[in-house]
Amino acid sequence: MSNRVDLGLLKELKEYGHVNVEACFNCGNCTAICPLSTDETPFPRNNIRLLQVGLKERILQSTDPWLCYYCGECSETCPRDAEPAEAQMALRRWLTAQYDWTGLGARFYTSNTWAIGALLFMTVIVLTLIALFHGPMETDHVELNTFAPIHIVHLADLVMAVAISLYLFMNVYRMFSFIILKGAKVKIPLSIYLTEAWNLPYQFLTQKRFSECEDRRPWLNHMILASGYALMFAIIVLFLNWFQTDNLYPLFNPQRWLGYYAAAALIYGAGMAIWGRAKKDRQLHKYSQLSDWLFPILLILLAVSGLLVHIFRYVGMPLATYYAYVVHMIFVPSIYFVVGPMGKWAHLFYRPLAIYFQAVKEKALVAQTAPAVASVGAD
Amino acid sequence: MVQEKIRVDTLVVGGGIAGMQSALDLADQGYQVALVERDPSIGGKMIQLSKVFPTLDCCSCITTPKMSAVAHHENIQLFTYCEIQAIEENDQGFVSNALQKPRYVDVDTCTGCRQCEYACPIDVPHPFDRYLGAHRAAYVPFSTAVPQKALIDMENCILCGKCQRGCPANSIDFTQKEQPFEIESRAIILATGFEITPPDAKKEYGAGQFHNVVDALVMERLLAPTGPYGHVLRPSDGKEPDSIAYVQCAGSRDKTLGVEYCSRVCCMYAIKQAMLISGALPLADITIYYMDIRTFGKGYDQFYQTAQAMGIEFVKGKVARINEDENQNPVVRVEMIDEGSKVVERMHDMVVLSVGMLPCYDPQPIFGVRSAEDGFVLTPSINMAPCVTEHPGIFVSGTAAGPMDIVDSIVLAGAASAEAAAYLEANDGNRRSVKSTTNAARVTAHA
Repeated sequence: MSNRVDLGLLKELKEYGHVNVEACFNCGNCTAICPLSTDETPFPRNNIRLLQVGLKERILQSTDPWLCYYCGECSETCPRDAEPAEAQMALRRWLTAQYDWTGLGARFYTSNTWAIGALLFMTVIVLTLIALFHGPMETDHVELNTFAPIHIVHLADLVMAVAISLYLFMNVYRMFSFIILKGAKVKIPLSIYLTEAWNLPYQFLTQKRFSECEDRRPWLNHMILASGYALMFAIIVLFLNWFQTDNLYPLFNPQRWLGYYAAAALIYGAGMAIWGRAKKDRQLHKYSQLSDWLFPILLILLAVSGLLVHIFRYVGMPLATYYAYVVHMIFVPSIYFVVGPMGKWAHLFYRPLAIYFQAVKEKALVAQTAPAVASVGAD
Repeated sequence: MVQEKIRVDTLVVGGGIAGMQSALDLADQGYQVALVERDPSIGGKMIQLSKVFPTLDCCSCITTPKMSAVAHHENIQLFTYCEIQAIEENDQGFVSNALQKPRYVDVDTCTGCRQCEYACPIDVPHPFDRYLGAHRAAYVPFSTAVPQKALIDMENCILCGKCQRGCPANSIDFTQKEQPFEIESRAIILATGFEITPPDAKKEYGAGQFHNVVDALVMERLLAPTGPYGHVLRPSDGKEPDSIAYVQCAGSRDKTLGVEYCSRVCCMYAIKQAMLISGALPLADITIYYMDIRTFGKGYDQFYQTAQAMGIEFVKGKVARINEDENQNPVVRVEMIDEGSKVVERMHDMVVLSVGMLPCYDPQPIFGVRSAEDGFVLTPSINMAPCVTEHPGIFVSGTAAGPMDIVDSIVLAGAASAEAAAYLEANDGNRRSVKSTTNAARVTAHA
């Protein structure tokens, strides 16, 4: 294990959020007040200590920041205003950038110019592609699938999904190598990977750990947002043929109300996030970075522009439909290539993965010590 | 009867240990002193305490003689139950408008026999015993009060007249009124003391709602021989506690309470109380949860080591939360920093909050003396003249200047007296023929 001290770590972290951990005198209030801190993963004080002394490797190997859901109680009660919760948030951004093999994550998190530039770049790319590949614009009545041929759009969708998956997979591998390959002090049998695998879908779908925070309202908001997002993602990637259609389904058809629910959930959930960040009424919303604004704003724009496409088509306004569709199309790739695997979006995977890796590590440690305990018992 | 105008060299405001010491130090040098105390007895916080660290001297035994000395000193005029309402400055010094509050008892004839107290049917929770005990509406403030004179708590009095009938000296006088008078002085010493962290300050610690979570001043009263129960019992059910925990920094070094500073006394008083409890309840387990132990005075660290050797448990970690179980046992939640960072919830029979020292008096409106950011009296030259305020002729003594223990209060009280004496010498042509302001000149003159 490397114990090399990185003197620049704290300075680096400060570019990722409102980091004030120099104020901390290590009283342990934050760890004791945290409802999620456990004997195996006591945080946040421990990783704040690591930050103070610059043990970069140890932080890279840690799952702690992902186990925090920013209820903010530690920051509210911190006797030094050291903002331990915001330190976890900054660490999550920093870890996301460290997991990202391209280095884009670090660029986007630390430079707004880069992030906005990437956004504009994606817009130009999308507009170029649409200009090259769009079909004829039927102006008598709405024929969206003539303007945007479904097979091309779907193909683009799939290509994008594969590219993003590969990108994400490489980041996840880096995360795995930091946390398990370098960070696990114990040999992990394959069986434990398998028996603990249920954690991934379970945590992904329920965000159970989040719900263990004292104030459950943020969890509820987040669940609504996440359900809308997951539903919309599934519809677009798997069932685009059914969804992007010139048929107007009756209202009771699942195509209609599933779409409405997903859009409403996205707008409500992301809207609450934006509203909270603007009002700064909770600890969790006190400090916001561009990435925290961008993700919900893009989600809302995505949902609203999608709804507009639907409304214009419904009332039979061809040109308005096509333009709304173009706008809609701008936001889809933007999310993935600006706040995607290199940014805030990746927390969808990093959070359940961190819980999974932590469970695997802990089970392996128990398994390692259990035979010794059993033999003592046998004596 | 109070005179309408008195003239002294120095007015001392506050009759706690610092004010008493300042008054005595000046009076012993021959200066005339007026000591004004807002409570009906002098003695301040110190007379409430059980024993003092690090010597474990009995507090009453060392405070009461000082109180008596103040009361009987020929150069000190003592005004209790009296407040300063305004001051004016002229070329002679200060003219303070004092207000003598009515005791409804003629102090010249009252002998402190307490017959009024025995006759009075009204019980009032007693602040001296931190509300664990009661006094009557007609009462002598406490057993060692100085002056040992009764007063009537008119807010709770029902005017039944029983005290009047019971008083053998015919001292009860319901017709007394507030009596303003003037004190002319050439210097003023502020010894207005401190207040402790209010019980509802921290919601994580129950905001004062848990019966068995008490502040350290309550424990002082429980440990004091003159205390409300005469024994250490927990307030909710009178049970003798087997396990007592101290939560350090429960009011100091905490930005959420707006108190950034260290109160300097809590480590030592907690250790002292832990030792005293070990004596009173030899079987009780005592734990002190702390962030840092700061035992910096003479003999203090040895005191800490003695406590460790006595078996008092010291746990590093700030208590984040106190809950209460169904039997009203407090449960503390803390990260055991030296035990592998384990977060534990430990039940105790009683928790004592080591509350901090807060400023309790803002001298700005009346004395024109500013307070520092922490609320204690501003002393611009903290290193070279720690008791000299911004206002010429006004000095500060004891905890009015900042958190400090009794030892330091007495040191600062002496320093304030010396500063005041030097000021009086330098600015007075009548009393002694010295006008110089320099030390050298003063030494020469005395020689």
